[in-house]
Amino acid sequence: MTSSPALVALAAAAAWFLVFFFIHVGGVRAGFENARWLLISYAACFLGTLVTAIVLTAWHHGMQTIVLAATMAALTSACLFALYVPALYTILTSLSVQTMMLLRRRGGALPEAELYDRFASHKIMEQRLATLLASGYVAPDGPSYRLTPRGRVIAKLFRPIKILWNLGPGG
Amino acid sequence: MKAICLASVMTVVLLVLVTFCFRLYPSAHRARQMLFVYLFCLAVLVALWFATPDDLGFLGRSLLTEPAWLDFAATLLFFSAAFFGGALQLYNLCDRGFSLRILVDMLEAPIGAVDVDYLTANYSGGRGLVWMYRKRIDDIVAARFIDQVNKRIALTAKGEKFADLFINARRVLGLEPPQ
Repeated sequence: MTSSPALVALAAAAAWFLVFFFIHVGGVRAGFENARWLLISYAACFLGTLVTAIVLTAWHHGMQTIVLAATMAALTSACLFALYVPALYTILTSLSVQTMMLLRRRGGALPEAELYDRFASHKIMEQRLATLLASGYVAPDGPSYRLTPRGRVIAKLFRPIKILWNLGPGG
Repeated sequence: MKAICLASVMTVVLLVLVTFCFRLYPSAHRARQMLFVYLFCLAVLVALWFATPDDLGFLGRSLLTEPAWLDFAATLLFFSAAFFGGALQLYNLCDRGFSLRILVDMLEAPIGAVDVDYLTANYSGGRGLVWMYRKRIDDIVAARFIDQVNKRIALTAKGEKFADLFINARRVLGLEPPQ
């Protein structure tokens, strides 16, 4: 009995995503820059997913089911990635999560002032600006910073969504 | 392919409903509003999946996913990923994104180049970083991860469990010293 093209596609996507997870974690542990390594390792595994799904489907079922297998494989892989990335960045950058982790490391409780001093200060702004600088969204201008064209595009891109959803300044 | 068609259509419906909710019923708990819309759309999606033929009346035989349970599972996966990894993240980024808000503040600044003092004081259209952090503290108090007592902030039992989970996840990534 041969399995269906869709099952082959989903299995290929799941298996390659597991490979991606280990490669990504391994790279971060080895000290690779996260954002770049995340994209490179995912792109390679996405390609692996597509090739595996197409080759296995063509071999077992012929050419007519390749569109179904390739689409299912690509979408399943993209869905897993879309769920993985927010979870990853919550752990890496969320101030709420960092607050909870700091409290845990410091015995479970801290004065409010100490938390504000750490998470609502110049230091946290400097750290985030350093990240934006490294990603090419801002550029130094003497002691100040200015938006790069890339940063300007991102800032402008989200403005209509904020207006459409009636979100206010946010942040 | 039925899974892709139904999940895609329902994602569009979800985005339209979310837009209507945000505009017509403004709430302080928008993420919760979105979750209710998601659950409603999920129920409609399940009903639609059972009510429609496998080929939706137009799909060719080579585009049918078999077995049927796999198509149903894929429908739920695609729609849930579109919500939790797409719509909800888009909202989080727009309404709570720290880095994005810095970029928008720089875009809206009266001068081209701004320093750290300006951004700290004028974060989120002039509200400042203290407002930003207060909002986060209020949210994790509301979620019962922490308590505020006598100007001290303490983890609850639930907060401790989640903090351990996050610390262990960072440990897997090699970002925390081993135990």
